[in-house]
Parts: sequence; structure tokens; C-alpha cells
Amino acid sequence: MSCSQDKILPFLGPKTVSASGDTVYHQIPAFNFLNQDSVIISEKDMAGKVYVADFFFTTCPTICPKMKTQMLRIYERYKERDDVRLLSHSIDPDFDTPSVLKDYAARLHVTSPKWNLLTGDKAKIYRLGQKSYLVSAQEDPAEAGGFVHSGAFILVDKNRHVRGIYDGTVEAEVNHLLEDMENLLKEL
Amino acid sequence: MKKYIPIAIIAFFFFSCSSKEEILQQQYAVEGMALYKTHCENCHQADGSGLRDLYPSINKSNISPEALTCLMRNGKKGNGFMPANAKLQGLDLAELVTYMRDKWGGNKQIYPIDSVQIALKNCN
Repeated sequence: MSCSQDKILPFLGPKTVSASGDTVYHQIPAFNFLNQDSVIISEKDMAGKVYVADFFFTTCPTICPKMKTQMLRIYERYKERDDVRLLSHSIDPDFDTPSVLKDYAARLHVTSPKWNLLTGDKAKIYRLGQKSYLVSAQEDPAEAGGFVHSGAFILVDKNRHVRGIYDGTVEAEVNHLLEDMENLLKEL
Repeated sequence: MKKYIPIAIIAFFFFSCSSKEEILQQQYAVEGMALYKTHCENCHQADGSGLRDLYPSINKSNISPEALTCLMRNGKKGNGFMPANAKLQGLDLAELVTYMRDKWGGNKQIYPIDSVQIALKNCN
């Protein structure tokens, strides 16, 4: 008998019931954005991968640096695993062009396809954040840097279901994410 | 009355070993540490080591206090962008410089507000 019990993580977000009576879990819809190498990244690239999503912008003076410090921990830990991906969406895509993101990634010493820094249509990014990843992301001139966004890390399973949301600015929360990640990786 | 005795003893040693100037320097450094935590630490980290090549380390810098004052207030444009912070007033900047050059330069001298004001007038 094994001492460690595998924890089944909850399925977050609104659930619906299909005509046949099955529960249909909230799923991240189709998307496509450009990464730092000007390569289109879509939901198809996430098939069979567990991934962590977050929202940031390169000139953010407040919580982003803390988030990136924590995201780096995840990156380093799963560097050699092909079934883990990181998606950081810019909420200032007009400024954060692929070449700006390329420079940012280079200075952070990270590369795609493991860690994709994404840019694209601003309205689509905001909608995806709010409706699909269940976090806030929008413009706010009153906020330092001009944007308000949560510091959340969203843990998504191999079938694009949201399975956990963590405060990406807090080391202890990210420790939980890393534990939950191990459980998700064992799921089919 | 008895419970005040330890405090009195500590206070005696504290004041007897420190000149008025040293106490002021310590006050500036402590306030500066709190300000550093709020305004600088997110990027440059608590130990000033920075984050890879994204945010530079600042614990081995030989920047002048004048240039540091201007940099914190006005930020840096273009490559190596750093946001300006107009909220930092004279005393804040004096405390920040005092803290940083104490911590990483071993400089126990206070950086006075007068010097901050002069530095700000002469920023490029």
C-alpha cells in the first residue's frame, strides 16, 4: 500500500450539464497569440500538456517582478519535461510586441516552447483572462503602470480545465502549485 | 517601576554608545529599509542582487548619491527602463540613499535632505 494519497484537484469555473446528463467542465476555449519568437501559439500546442498561465506586462513596476521570480522556479523545475508549459500573456500588447517580449525573455534567460510570452489582440487577451482564466486583467489609468491585473497563476490540466488558482507573488502559494502540478501530471 | 529598569538599562547603553548623529543615521537607515521594501525590492530583490539580466544588481554599484537620487525620482528611459517615482519626496530619497550606502557600501554617514534637494536641481 502506498502512503502518499494522490489528491484529486477540483474542476474550477462554471459547470454545465449536457443533453445526455453528463457534467461538462469549464474549459479554456480555442485561442491563438504570437509568442516572443513570432510563432503562433494556440490551444493545439497545449494538447496533452499541463500548463501555468499568468497575465503581466514588461514595464510593470509592481507585482510582475515577484511573479516572474516565482514563475522562474516553475520553469527551472520542469525545464526537462516536455509535458509542462508556461504561458505569460501581456495585458499591454500594443507595447509588448514580439520583439519586446524576445528581449525580455532573453534577459530572463528563458526560451520557448517551454515558456511562451504571448501578445495579440488586447480585447481577446482581456476576455480570455476574465471569462476563461477567471482572473482580472484590464486597463486602469489610476494604477501604477496603467493596468490592473491579478497576480494569479492559473494551473490548467491536459484537457484545458482550470484546476487551481494561486497567488503568484507568494512563495508558499507557488509551493502548493508545484505539489498540485505533480498530481496533475499523473492524470491522463 | 521595576519593569522599566531593563528598558532604562538598554536605553542607557544605546545612548551612551551612540552619538546623536549615529542615532539619526540609524533612524534614516531603518526608514530607508522600509521604503526600499515598498519601492525597490520587487525588482532588485531584498539583497540587491537583481533578477538575472532583467533587473540589474545594485549591491555592488559605485553610483554617486546624486545620480542615485535622480535615478530613483526620474527613472530611466529606453534600454534598461526603470519607472519614475514622483511620490518619493526629499526625506524619502535621503533615507533610501542612507540605507543603501550603509547596507552595501558600509557608509555610516547620513545623506541629508539638503543634499537631495541640490541633487534634484541638478539632474540631467
